[in-house]
Amino acid sequence: MRISDRRFALFLMTPAALFLAVFVAFPLFRLVADSFFKISPIAGGPRDFVGLDNYFRAFASDAFIGAGWRTLAYTLIVVTLEFALGLGMALLFTTLGRSSQIWRTVFMYPLMIAPIVAGLLWKFLMIDNFGLIGTLLHQAGILSNPNQIGWLSDPNIVLYSVAIPDIWLTTSFMCLVLFAGLQNIPGDLIEAARLDGARAPAMLFRIILPLLRPVIAVALVVRGIDAARAFDTILIQTNGGPQSASETMSLLIYRTMIRFGDPGLASAMGTLYLLAMLAVAFVAVSTIWRPGKDN
Amino acid sequence: MRVAERTKNDGGKLAPDVAGLYVPTTTGSRGRKRRGVNREGLEAGRRSTRTLLWILLAAAMVLYGFPFLYLLFTSFKTPIDAIAVPPTILPKEWTLENYTNGLGRNGVLASFINSIQTAVISTVLSLLLAVPAAYGITRYKTLSGRIFIMAALVTRMVPPVAIGIPLASMMASVGLSDTPIALSVAHTTISLPLSIWLMSSFFEAVPKDLEEAATVDGCSRLGALWRVVIPVVSGGVAVTAIFAFLASWNEFLFALLMTAIRSQTTPVVIANFQTQFGLDWGSMTALATVYSIPVILLTLLLQRKIVAGMTLGAVKG
Repeated sequence: MRISDRRFALFLMTPAALFLAVFVAFPLFRLVADSFFKISPIAGGPRDFVGLDNYFRAFASDAFIGAGWRTLAYTLIVVTLEFALGLGMALLFTTLGRSSQIWRTVFMYPLMIAPIVAGLLWKFLMIDNFGLIGTLLHQAGILSNPNQIGWLSDPNIVLYSVAIPDIWLTTSFMCLVLFAGLQNIPGDLIEAARLDGARAPAMLFRIILPLLRPVIAVALVVRGIDAARAFDTILIQTNGGPQSASETMSLLIYRTMIRFGDPGLASAMGTLYLLAMLAVAFVAVSTIWRPGKDN
Repeated sequence: MRVAERTKNDGGKLAPDVAGLYVPTTTGSRGRKRRGVNREGLEAGRRSTRTLLWILLAAAMVLYGFPFLYLLFTSFKTPIDAIAVPPTILPKEWTLENYTNGLGRNGVLASFINSIQTAVISTVLSLLLAVPAAYGITRYKTLSGRIFIMAALVTRMVPPVAIGIPLASMMASVGLSDTPIALSVAHTTISLPLSIWLMSSFFEAVPKDLEEAATVDGCSRLGALWRVVIPVVSGGVAVTAIFAFLASWNEFLFALLMTAIRSQTTPVVIANFQTQFGLDWGSMTALATVYSIPVILLTLLLQRKIVAGMTLGAVKG
């Protein structure tokens, strides 16, 4: 007996769907459920229903509001710089053409490095006293003393410093995606613009960027979501410090859960964070990605 | 979307080298006439411009490559030199001391084995689940398929920190806490949506007539998938496997939340060096180097495939 195509498709999708239901949807359900309870961090401890209390506490806490703003700022810093640098490199590789191919490969290497290693590496470069960056800037005569800039110890700039490894790791990704997009711009279009006397800036802003718009949008959304979830690089560099100045949402939730032993509050924060991400995801999916439909 | 259109056109003819599809060939550069005349596309023509651009590229490459080289150099310094003030770029004395210290530490070699085990299990699991699912989504285009791929994409937005703890307690309740199995399942929650996404794109490029011909010849649909379609997309399966492997190999947060001693992976061990052993920067750099070199080599070897996956993952319509 031959089952219908629809049934067969369903049969193929079922294992993956079950997996995601059990290991993603169910834990999420637990998270949301936990957010309505006051939970003792000790296993088997008391569990009291407190309604929306955890949510009120989250919104009343400066740490939560602060982490929200910092996550937003961090995401904007990372994505903006990455986009600017990635576009620059993509244009450079495109204008150099085929002969730069080998360097394009080399440029990709940070993509394979574990974020934890990247964070460690940049911490080592920026750390006070024996950090190389301060020393080199001092030797070049730019700084009067190698420790003049406390990259990771000055609360005013630390959010920028912790973003560096993330930018370093994934500028290659931006570059790769934008480069692929650039290859699809028809040569005659550029030629025509050139004959019309378009100069470089006009070429970039009037022709290249508008044509790349869909590619840019997807790349920004993909990277924005990743940056908003950043954890590894920040944890290893500063652990959220100094004075919580680099504490983003992931770190705050982690610390609330593990260090401060308040799973209820952490779950409420996690739920709010998730809702914010889903809102972004929804807008992104409905406006840019239309998976399953033909283009 | 442009790149996606390209796949369809290029892939229309059953290209077995699916990965090759995305390696951008600079249009027209092959037959390009020399400087100045007939410059095509965006490629710069004048010699002076090109020289300037090459200098710019060289500067960018030095800046971009330097951090990792510095890590490499530091790993060959003596432990004291590694944290000398002021620091030097090259070691004063080349030694393997950091490597013997770092790798000799209790649990470090075991963590490498755990990392490999976890990544392999997670890759296999991802492929086993993603290949049929992606095929079901792309070939039959049912409503359930559309809903499913949307749902899979939404899981990409879920912050791991939000599900890590509930997941860990679930694993504990079935007696799997602190095992590579538990961690690889957690890692699969990350790689499965990505794998479904990538595999769907690869299946899109396979013409439908192919397995129709096979079923007419008496193959069952499952048989057609296994014997006819999968061999055609084997390049795509390889790309997907690389990404699933990397996702697990480099993952840190789940590993931190779900492993204690037995199944700790290397990223957690590297992070622990900071607190557990004070500031042993030398050993840390050695360990970080050893952990990164295999995947960097992998990139250089399989760069075409990886570029394919990267661009496909993001630039698909």
